[in-house]
Amino acid sequence: MSFISKTMSAVAAGGIALSALTGMSMSSALAKDIVIKMAAPDWGPTRLMQDMATKQYKAKSGNNVTLEIDFIPWPSFYERVAASLSSGEKKYQMVVSDSQWLGAFIEGGHFAKLNTYIDADPELQALMKDLHPALIKAYSTYPTGADAYYGFPQMPDSYPTWYRKDLFCNAKEQAAYKAKYSRTLPCTYDDWKDVDWKDWKNIGSFFVRAKGEALGDGVAENDFYGTAYQAGKGYDFSSCQINSFIWQWGGDIWDEKNEPTGQAEGVVNSPSNVEAFQAYLDILPNSPPIWKTGQMDIFAVQDQFMQGNVAAVIDWAGLADPVLDASKSKVHDKVAFALNPGKRRADGSINRVAQIGGQPFVLTTWNDDEVMKEALDIVKWFLSTPVQKQFVEGGFLSGLQSVMAWDGHDAARPWNRAHREVIGELKDFWRIPEFFELLTQQQQEFDKAITGQISAKEALDNIAEFQQSLLEDAGRIK
Amino acid sequence: MTTLNSNATEQQSPTFGFWVWLMAPERRGALLITPAIVLLFAMNILPLMWSFGLSFFRYRANRLNPPEFLGWDNMFRNYEKVTSSSAIWDSFQTTAIIVAGSVTLQVIIGFLLALMFAREFPFRKILLSMVLTPMMLSFVAVGVFFKFFYEPSFGLLSQAIRVFTGEPYILLGTKWGSIWGIIIADAWMWSPFVMLLVLAGLVSVPKYLYEAADIDRASWFRRFRTITFPYIKSLLLLAVLFRTIETFKLFDLVYIITEGGPGSATETLSVYVYRQGFQYFRTSDASALGYILLFVVIVLTNLYLYVVNRRSEEL
Repeated sequence: MSFISKTMSAVAAGGIALSALTGMSMSSALAKDIVIKMAAPDWGPTRLMQDMATKQYKAKSGNNVTLEIDFIPWPSFYERVAASLSSGEKKYQMVVSDSQWLGAFIEGGHFAKLNTYIDADPELQALMKDLHPALIKAYSTYPTGADAYYGFPQMPDSYPTWYRKDLFCNAKEQAAYKAKYSRTLPCTYDDWKDVDWKDWKNIGSFFVRAKGEALGDGVAENDFYGTAYQAGKGYDFSSCQINSFIWQWGGDIWDEKNEPTGQAEGVVNSPSNVEAFQAYLDILPNSPPIWKTGQMDIFAVQDQFMQGNVAAVIDWAGLADPVLDASKSKVHDKVAFALNPGKRRADGSINRVAQIGGQPFVLTTWNDDEVMKEALDIVKWFLSTPVQKQFVEGGFLSGLQSVMAWDGHDAARPWNRAHREVIGELKDFWRIPEFFELLTQQQQEFDKAITGQISAKEALDNIAEFQQSLLEDAGRIK
Repeated sequence: MTTLNSNATEQQSPTFGFWVWLMAPERRGALLITPAIVLLFAMNILPLMWSFGLSFFRYRANRLNPPEFLGWDNMFRNYEKVTSSSAIWDSFQTTAIIVAGSVTLQVIIGFLLALMFAREFPFRKILLSMVLTPMMLSFVAVGVFFKFFYEPSFGLLSQAIRVFTGEPYILLGTKWGSIWGIIIADAWMWSPFVMLLVLAGLVSVPKYLYEAADIDRASWFRRFRTITFPYIKSLLLLAVLFRTIETFKLFDLVYIITEGGPGSATETLSVYVYRQGFQYFRTSDASALGYILLFVVIVLTNLYLYVVNRRSEEL
């Protein structure tokens, strides 16, 4: 190669390198720094989402987009989010919202309707098709079931049964149970499919043991209790379980679908609701004594089970991962999961209709077009199949039907099968702007009944009277 | 030349003249406190006036509807509504019981501790620091501590009583148990405060009075009644009033330990106002209730100030 051609080549190579560098610096100079701030409850599913976003998320737009989650403790989550949204500070671009909040914050003008974005984006349309219909109804639509979409599942949840397989599969315990109740003590997942509330009550009573009494192949180190489910005064920590009883007994809560003719009086305190609530109360004495204080919330149930004080509990799947952690749970190697119990129908099948758990995440109305696009890109990234599979492998649940049908879904965590099988039977609270007042008063009356101050009927009568008056004032009952 | 330049400067900057006028000694004081007054007005006075105004409106903070004036004929309706509710009188009663129980316990324990620490004994200073610790802790820490302390399965109280009864002890399962649980937690936290005030009175008693009483062979009770008590009585009254005002506003401990439960058995006025304002979103009702609460506290505070003034006159 001649000197001239070598020089030309060097100049050309230098030019290419320079233009490449310039191009890079120009594109990085054009990239914007965008922070998507999201209010979320402080627990595993949101912590994992933050971790995955920090490590993996790269915006397709080329902007430097950061998802920054503001973790808020569960007990004050609603008050903090409501205060932020009502004050008009416009702090959050996204919010993880309990499904029952949708009405309040949509009517308040805070949560953005997404139909236009979905209609214009084939990726979002495909995503909506893949989401489980029960989750779209509960997490996305407002009014419930309408064609107006607002949210996507951040963490769908249900409450399976958590049980001690070392006790339920113990030959001595099985023989003793069979002798006492002429029923099989459920051991396998399939055995639990045949457990109704009558069995659950018997199981609870059967496993109550005083310290030092025989338990499994050993003796109880402390007082031991049969069963537990939520019975706490705070937030919705009894309503979620009581609603399930009410629905399974054939009753209902006041339903906004029947607005304005549907009444609270006569529905909320119907004889079947009283019977259902009484059935719930009758099972409580088999629980650890904290139930008598009205403080047996979902965290207390989780804690009692991890401490090895209870044979079986019903609690959210979202709280189950620490149970498998040897550093946190005394029963990490003794636990198995199954479907929640239900009420047996006349044909012998079991009605398992239950309260839906989990939360959608929504976008706020004050986002400009660019922020909205970036936020929706985060939604598409988080709800993409590979990321959702990682989320499931990380111990949490997905709302995508394709992920639920994936071979690894049920194997990822022992409660996933129960969640997948029950998700179609889940229902939600009222989702009207008045929900928090309804919930707060209901929780207080339930708590009075749980702690023995009033009867189930008195509690439901008080709730019905309050709801009738509030909903009439709000123009929802004519 | 100098005069000319000076005149030119004065003519060129009229703001300089304003600055000199503003910084004149007679205005400097007012100027210095203006930022504090503005801040106080923005952060305290304005919200107070706003919430006072809201108490005459129909308004819920979680609704889009703007506040609606109740009308001149009907402007006290929110006050009438909240005072005619049986729940508010239940809350008053619960608050009164907690105040009476807690302040009495604080005075007894604080007084006994002060008598103990008025004397010299080994490790007195270390022990005094330890006894003072509870009042330096945050309400949340104390609340969570007592919540676990009372927990029926693993709480220390239940474990201790179980040794004798063989049964777990559930203090927070009944109305009176829960009220006692709150009284004990509040008294544990604030007895050291009463002790500090009483101790200040005790150490101010001249020693020669006790020496004279010894010579007169006065009994312990007579020494206390005629020498000690007159010196500490106004401080003790001050402690009682101060603690009554504070306990009347008690929120944190109640909310953490019982959340007002079981049911509404331990719902103090502050918890009731919070629930009305931030859970039921009855913003106007909560404002009216807040001002009733404020009125009671103002009456108590005036009593407190009267005692403080009387003590300073005595000294």
